[in-house]
Amino acid sequence: MGKYIVKRVLLLIPTIFIICAIVFGLMRMVPGDAVDIIVNRMTQSGQTVDEAAIRARLGLDVPAVQQFFNWMGNVFRGDLGDSFFQYDSVWNIIKRQLPISLELGLITLILANLISIPLGLFCAARQDSIPDYAIRIIAVVLMAIPMFWLATLVLFYPAQWWGYAPPVVYVSFFQDPIANLQMFLVPAIMGALAQAGMQLRTVRTVVLDTMRQDYIRTAYAKGVKQRVILFKHAFRNAMIPVITIIGGSIAALVGGNVILENIFNIPGIGQQLVTALGQRDFPMVQGCVLIMSIFVMIVNLVIDVAYKWIDPRVTLD
Amino acid sequence: MQVLKDLFRKKPIGGICLIILIAFLLMAVFAGVLAPTPMVNGALPKNLAEGKLAPFQTMAHPLGTDRMGQDLLSYMIYGARTSVILCVCCTLLSTFISLVTGVLSAVVGGWFDLIVQRIVDAVGCIPQMLLLLLLMAMLGNGIPQMIFALSVPSGIGGSRMVRSAAISVKDSGYCRNSDLLGGGVFWKCVMHVVPNIMPLVIISAAGSLGGVVMMEASMNFLGYGVDPGTPSWGALITGAGRDLMFTCPWMCIVPGIAIAVLTFAANMFGDAIRDLLDPRLKGGVGSYNSKKLDKTLAKLEKQAAKRQNAA
Repeated sequence: MGKYIVKRVLLLIPTIFIICAIVFGLMRMVPGDAVDIIVNRMTQSGQTVDEAAIRARLGLDVPAVQQFFNWMGNVFRGDLGDSFFQYDSVWNIIKRQLPISLELGLITLILANLISIPLGLFCAARQDSIPDYAIRIIAVVLMAIPMFWLATLVLFYPAQWWGYAPPVVYVSFFQDPIANLQMFLVPAIMGALAQAGMQLRTVRTVVLDTMRQDYIRTAYAKGVKQRVILFKHAFRNAMIPVITIIGGSIAALVGGNVILENIFNIPGIGQQLVTALGQRDFPMVQGCVLIMSIFVMIVNLVIDVAYKWIDPRVTLD
Repeated sequence: MQVLKDLFRKKPIGGICLIILIAFLLMAVFAGVLAPTPMVNGALPKNLAEGKLAPFQTMAHPLGTDRMGQDLLSYMIYGARTSVILCVCCTLLSTFISLVTGVLSAVVGGWFDLIVQRIVDAVGCIPQMLLLLLLMAMLGNGIPQMIFALSVPSGIGGSRMVRSAAISVKDSGYCRNSDLLGGGVFWKCVMHVVPNIMPLVIISAAGSLGGVVMMEASMNFLGYGVDPGTPSWGALITGAGRDLMFTCPWMCIVPGIAIAVLTFAANMFGDAIRDLLDPRLKGGVGSYNSKKLDKTLAKLEKQAAKRQNAA
């Protein structure tokens, strides 16, 4: 077990390196750069501009390969560089905004699981009954509704009809928990609906899959009640793949929240990223994507280890 | 053919969804014929006198018009073209990429496998939405760019599943025999591995159909999508629809419903295909529930009683 974890952590290093290379490469291939934008702004406000000096100041005057290794060296020293447009280091900005995104993701995840696991179990227990069909169709409909569309409708129409709008100014949870939750609840529900639809179907499938195993047949043959079989035998074994799905959904949530954050004006890392990408703020984009990817990587690792811990039959290689 | 027959017999909902998908496809192909007001030089004709008509007011514009008097139904029909092109091309391209990477990685093995898998891991760790944003920022707006950006990451991601399926085929007896008979890597891939993992590939391709439309719309929302001139449902929601949400709500609601219907049909069709092709979900011991069991037992008892009576 210990050996496995060490091996996995060591394998993270080349993966991080490749992620850095991909992100850096993509960013440098984006047409236009921050210097153009700064030069434009300065000439518009009537200042004299020394383009070469700006380029040198931002570290963009050396060849891209050298820029990459400069950046990589700094990353491994824990320095993600400074934002081109905000007077702060990338790490400070991420430190400020990552918790906001994580809170939104966490609430979404909790809501999605509260909806999907009980309903999925119910559907599996009553396979091919009318409620089963109804719930499954609703789940697919939820998956099919464009989330950003629904969110815009939810944001606009209550404001028009009842004069209600979720707060748009961010308040930290520790200052005012109620105002904070008010802000997060609507976007979290929007995100959770689609997630729950997908997860529900998977829960149902894996529970049904488990119900077809030999030990379940044995339990039936022994005369165990269906309820006991469902909760004690099937559900506990079915949870193993479900955990993998939850892990996978964390990655989707981190990414999917980009849209929700933009609609509901939540100052999370996703909104930051879209702004930074528009401004060609290279260190900011690279930093955000890198940190999010490392987050996903760590979640994946934890899930793989948890897998072994929950299911002793799994052999780690 | 057998699959199609089964689809309509065993999974009627899946069959209906296939018909819906084909209807969308035909709508896209014959957009020029079907649209009440066809496009002129790549744009819908404007008619300011008929601006802002609500749906169902006149037969000429069944879904109403926007502020410029452009017919919404025609726009939707042309928009279907964009969605269908994206759907078909992205699914084909991403399936092809995942098939090639996965099968080669499994069959060649060794160093090649190790390096390819590290790259696949790395791409898998970057949240899909972020990777899409980066790719679209790099490539600029447009349909070919969109196809590339949507299918490459998902193709690389899907290759992991193909690889694990291909490995189990590669270790089977007939593949070893092919080695002994002097079959090369390419021969082995094409003749033995690919045909054997095809059901799995079809299942995953059918499953990924629905996501594409949604992704296109979402990317449009963030400002990275098709060209501004190209009719697209996502662009309609984000562009005209959002500004006019109060004055002409239909401009936003109609495309949203269209996206939902297309995604729904694609998802249900994917499900039905999976249920039909996935060997793990086929009949077997399973699908017990106590009611069914009771029924079977009662039937058996009745038969036994009958036999006893006859004797």
